[in-house]
Amino acid sequence: MKPRTQTNRSHKMDVSASKVIEVTNLVKSYGTIKAVDQISFGVSQGEVFGMLGPNGAGKTTTVEIVEGLRPADAGSATVLGIDVAKDSRAVKERIGIQPQSPALFPGLTVREMIRFFRQLYKKSLPTSQIIELASLQESRNVLFRNLSGGQQQRLSVSLAFVNDPEIIFLDEPTTGLDPQARRAMWDVIETFRRAGKTVVLTTHYMEEAQRLCDRIAIMDYGKIIAMDSPQRLIESNIKDSAIQFKMKDYPGDQVLTSLPDVSKVIREEDDVIIYTNNIPSAISGLLAMASQRSAELSELSVRQATLEDVFLKLTGKRIRD
Amino acid sequence: MKAFTAVFVGRYKQFIRDRAALFFSFIFPIIFILLFGWAFQNMGTETFKVGLADQGSPRITTYIAVGLESVELEGDVKMFETERGNLDDLLASLEDGDLDAVIVVPAGIDALEPGQSDNVQVYYDASRTVNQQILVPALSQVISAIAQFEGKYTPPIGMNQQSVQSHELRYIDFLLPGILGMTLMFIGVQGGLPIIQQRQAHIIKRLGSTPLRRSTLVFGDLLFGMIVILASAALIILVGRLVFDVQMVGNWFSLCGIVLLGSLVFVSLGYLIAAFVKTQESAIPVVLIVNLPMMILSGTFFSIASMPAFVEPLIKILPLTYVNDALRQIMVDGTPLHAMTTDIAVLAAWAVVCLGITIRFFKWD
Repeated sequence: MKPRTQTNRSHKMDVSASKVIEVTNLVKSYGTIKAVDQISFGVSQGEVFGMLGPNGAGKTTTVEIVEGLRPADAGSATVLGIDVAKDSRAVKERIGIQPQSPALFPGLTVREMIRFFRQLYKKSLPTSQIIELASLQESRNVLFRNLSGGQQQRLSVSLAFVNDPEIIFLDEPTTGLDPQARRAMWDVIETFRRAGKTVVLTTHYMEEAQRLCDRIAIMDYGKIIAMDSPQRLIESNIKDSAIQFKMKDYPGDQVLTSLPDVSKVIREEDDVIIYTNNIPSAISGLLAMASQRSAELSELSVRQATLEDVFLKLTGKRIRD
Repeated sequence: MKAFTAVFVGRYKQFIRDRAALFFSFIFPIIFILLFGWAFQNMGTETFKVGLADQGSPRITTYIAVGLESVELEGDVKMFETERGNLDDLLASLEDGDLDAVIVVPAGIDALEPGQSDNVQVYYDASRTVNQQILVPALSQVISAIAQFEGKYTPPIGMNQQSVQSHELRYIDFLLPGILGMTLMFIGVQGGLPIIQQRQAHIIKRLGSTPLRRSTLVFGDLLFGMIVILASAALIILVGRLVFDVQMVGNWFSLCGIVLLGSLVFVSLGYLIAAFVKTQESAIPVVLIVNLPMMILSGTFFSIASMPAFVEPLIKILPLTYVNDALRQIMVDGTPLHAMTTDIAVLAAWAVVCLGITIRFFKWD
């Protein structure tokens, strides 16, 4: 049960690295709902910073304030040393943003769209480079509305790189992509990071967050409830391993909790996860209980706790809802 | 400037790929002109019966009679037949529909001294469009010709009929400015649709994440819309002149001015709709509800004088009424801009009110 090695990460965690994003006591309310409630965090140059949280947790609002898309009620956000409330255009000139949905002009071709966005910035990368980044060489003259969902998403993400930004904000960059395109997108992000640039990422995919992020902030109800590297988040929150299975005719939490060495039980319909620090003991207890009750047990697996388990523990919610 | 060009070129490329927008901007008005132009081509060729009441000026009365009888249409058809009689009998015939107009020539016109002037009185049924558009202008033309001849330099005989067109007016001459006004309305009011669509599809939000200023976006859109409008106006006038030899009496700059003012009003109206309607699906019926009454009521195809009295208050507030009137005055009468302050004032007021409300209520997301 060795923790997965994270060798290529250590040099990014240099505390002396300059903060490219600094957020202090940010507040944003909609009516009586506090969408963002006294949030503070900093992001260092070269870091991949992830934001996780259930829908409505305030991730998008926070990110949009930092990007200069909407004003905060209180607190401050500084990006690349610029106060976004004072000069959001100067900030936008130097950052790249990919919103959640690929919202682009349906009546322009790939190439025209890239040219359009290039002209909005003082400096920009060549059109051909963005086409390559999006892997749309074959479709460069296809209208946006005739692209497949995955192609639209790739163009949308690639356009966030058009001004050769110092920081890139990606909101669900791989949603809707097939596994191959997703891995290609991860490569793009890693290349970007290797160039010393900073990434702020929101995602629903735990594997993605765990693989890409140097640090993750987990948000719920407008607050950051945990912030650390993925590995440390897991180690500090869940010492146990997870045993996951499907069970029909669920006997009730009490029966499972009373099994030997089971510390916690989480169930969603047929899916059950029990946490234990003694796998053999918990498994034999579980199997004995199942055969005694003739309960149907399937898809049994034992695994190390993941970010998903941490998320579940901290928010009580599954990430994909 | 780079961003402005980008917005402008982007709008252009999307526009030329948008068949509906192309159709309404260019094909639709041309279809109207050709259809109505051909359908009403012979509307000017019927013979009018005119009664002449001589009240003591036989010389001028005879001149008028001879003058009217000498007007010939295509194929040697006389445009007027005249009939003399006393006023009461003639007016009775007019009421019965046996006559189309009665001209009263007062005593004393025969003996006008240079520098003096007097009017003949014309009675006719103003509710008949054909009278408004053909009979009265033609009468006026004949009378002013006699007046010219009589007075050598200054015409001493006028006609007691205000806003008389001094040129031969066919239906197509009346129609074309109306089609022009209607097209300005269609293109302008539709101009709010791309903004609604882009907002609905979160494209505006995406653009908000770039350094593009919203004012650049709006001005790029506006300039493009204005160019489409001018191009469409030019096409309408060109087709009108080439196919039907439509007249343009007034000043081209005045015409451009009214076209631009009218476009401003309708584009503002389009943005006003965008301020209150959130989705493309609901915007299309709203645009129709705004456009259709104006298309029918504002004197596009028929003179507003032939509309029933109860819709008159509505007609009087619709902006297209004033656009059509101003365009018609310029193209048909050659009226200068300073002589149509009412039209200009009402249109300016519409633009100010629409833009004011839009600025107050418009939301970008």
